[in-house]
Amino acid sequence: MTQTAVTEPTGTPPSAGVKHRGVGDRSLTFDVIAHVLLILWSLLVVLPLLWVFVSSFKTTQEVLGSPLTLPHHLNLNNYATAWNDSGVGPAFINSVIVVGFSLVIVMVLGAMCSYVLARFRFFGNRFIYYLMLAGLTFPVFLAIVPLFSILKNFGLLNTLAGLVVTYVAFALPFTVFFLHAFFKRLPYDVYEAAQVDGAGEWRTFFQVMLPMARPGLASVAIFNFLGLWNQFLLPTVLKPDNSVLTQAMAQFQSQAGYAVDFGALFAAVVITVAPVLVVYIIFQRQLRGSVVAGAVK
Amino acid sequence: MATVTYDAASRIYPGSTKPAVDALNLDIEDGEFLVLVGPSGCGKSTSLRMLAGLEDVDRGAILIDGKDVSNLPPKARDIAMVFQNYALYPHMTVFDNMAFALKLRKTPKSEIERRVKEAAALLNLQEYLDRKPKALSGGQRQRVAMGRAIVREPQVFLMDEPLSNLDAKLRVQTRSQIAALQARLGTTTVYVTHDQTEALTMGHRVAVLKDGLLQQVDTPRNMYDKPANVFVAGFIGSPAMNIKTVKLGDNGAVLGGLAVPLTREAVAKAGEGADGKVTVGFRPEDVQLVGEGDGGLSMTVDLVEELGSDAYVYGRADLDGAEEQFVIRTDGRHTPNMGDTVYLKPQSTPHIFNAATGERIDG
Repeated sequence: MTQTAVTEPTGTPPSAGVKHRGVGDRSLTFDVIAHVLLILWSLLVVLPLLWVFVSSFKTTQEVLGSPLTLPHHLNLNNYATAWNDSGVGPAFINSVIVVGFSLVIVMVLGAMCSYVLARFRFFGNRFIYYLMLAGLTFPVFLAIVPLFSILKNFGLLNTLAGLVVTYVAFALPFTVFFLHAFFKRLPYDVYEAAQVDGAGEWRTFFQVMLPMARPGLASVAIFNFLGLWNQFLLPTVLKPDNSVLTQAMAQFQSQAGYAVDFGALFAAVVITVAPVLVVYIIFQRQLRGSVVAGAVK
Repeated sequence: MATVTYDAASRIYPGSTKPAVDALNLDIEDGEFLVLVGPSGCGKSTSLRMLAGLEDVDRGAILIDGKDVSNLPPKARDIAMVFQNYALYPHMTVFDNMAFALKLRKTPKSEIERRVKEAAALLNLQEYLDRKPKALSGGQRQRVAMGRAIVREPQVFLMDEPLSNLDAKLRVQTRSQIAALQARLGTTTVYVTHDQTEALTMGHRVAVLKDGLLQQVDTPRNMYDKPANVFVAGFIGSPAMNIKTVKLGDNGAVLGGLAVPLTREAVAKAGEGADGKVTVGFRPEDVQLVGEGDGGLSMTVDLVEELGSDAYVYGRADLDGAEEQFVIRTDGRHTPNMGDTVYLKPQSTPHIFNAATGERIDG
């Protein structure tokens, strides 16, 4: 747009030229404003992360004394302290275990459930689907007390397995809701081709339909990972001995009082944030483009 | 290698009372190339999908090689299908697309390799075996879909408008390739199309459907020369046959000022329940342009389509007070001009149909 405004030929009728230039100017202004806002926004997001990362190598004195300089020398003591002394290490491993298992289970169950609801006609299909949607509207804190009792009765209270089960139930409605729409859009011909080729329902699902749903699966997986990784309320109630990362972080911060080891705290924050970035980088390639391209026509 | 039999097979979609395919009776011989043709919504695709096992057979039965398969799932029928939009597996390479069915049948690896390579050679796909479908052109994708069917070495090939997504030139090319391939493999093939040219050029026999009802099954030649009813007469052939319903006299039909003599039997048959009318049809090429005094039907020329060797002349003629459209084929080098008046005379005996039932009357 800016290009056309600049290279406007002089021979065009004045009215058309003015009108065109007006549009060009407006879009130029819009472009500038948009880019300035986007740059500001990016800085707002990136700079604190960068600052935390840089600060995680500093001592507390350095952090407080010269917050904006680079660390005098690169040392990893803060990471060792955070990992070993503040309980972030074991909590990190617990978080990885709980979120990892939950994610795998919720993706498998969610994909199968939404596939069946989206593509098979049977009595009660709509009812089950709406029941799933109802789960989406239900605020989790309303269920905290009954959840506590149920897990206690099953003997799962204060266990990682109990947390995994709860996480799966918590994440399933959105997963089904999202993937339902996704599976509905996949071409039916490819399913029929697999049937004619001799694939049964299970094989068709795992070898044909699931790979086609990859962008959808990746989006939901990222969303679920973020939600579960940052989950605080559920572990606080159902696993009270401070064993997942969010709890460890909260405790680390609150028990220190006025004698905060800021360097170690920042190191702990980096440890917390890093997996999220890693997961996003792994999955974001899958988000781009459609896997269905080339299937039909 | 197998025969296929539709035995009064019907399909009624849920929520509809009218059958999409109504008591279809069809015997397809071993090694035959049968084309199902008809306008959209005539039930041709449904008939094919019933044979594939993708649609239920609500009444009647379908037999492959004498065995009732009406209630078998697609994978138990030993058929291979080429879909209208190819339906390739987008996440698999061309090789894997073709090998998928064989892998499911636990075919030995070396055998899979051999058959896929063979099919790829046959279809000129060797250099694309490692590509994914999205990196192929429409014509290549179409060939992969064919290859996927060929490697199966099935009893019957089913093809659902496989050429409709190709451009005109490629379509003509692929048309002859498929026909040659079928002749070479000798596999019984059922082919669905809405394009009557495809039907006439490819099929050993052609079956015309309309509103779920079979109209006629015959060789392309017979279909063209002896259409069983008015619908087939109008559907087969391009441009379409000139079909007019006119007064029935004692000796034949009266086409404006032109008398078309008919035998006594024909007049009797045409008269049955037809209220003194008869339907007359003649193809554009069966008409001669004659001089003014030679007793032809006078027509005003509206449009001349020049095709090089031939030309189609479109015009209006007065039939019993009503203006009727006609199209005739003439020599491309001697065409009348727009607005001219020309005189038509059918060269051979026209096709005669009962005006009430639309059925053909011979004689």
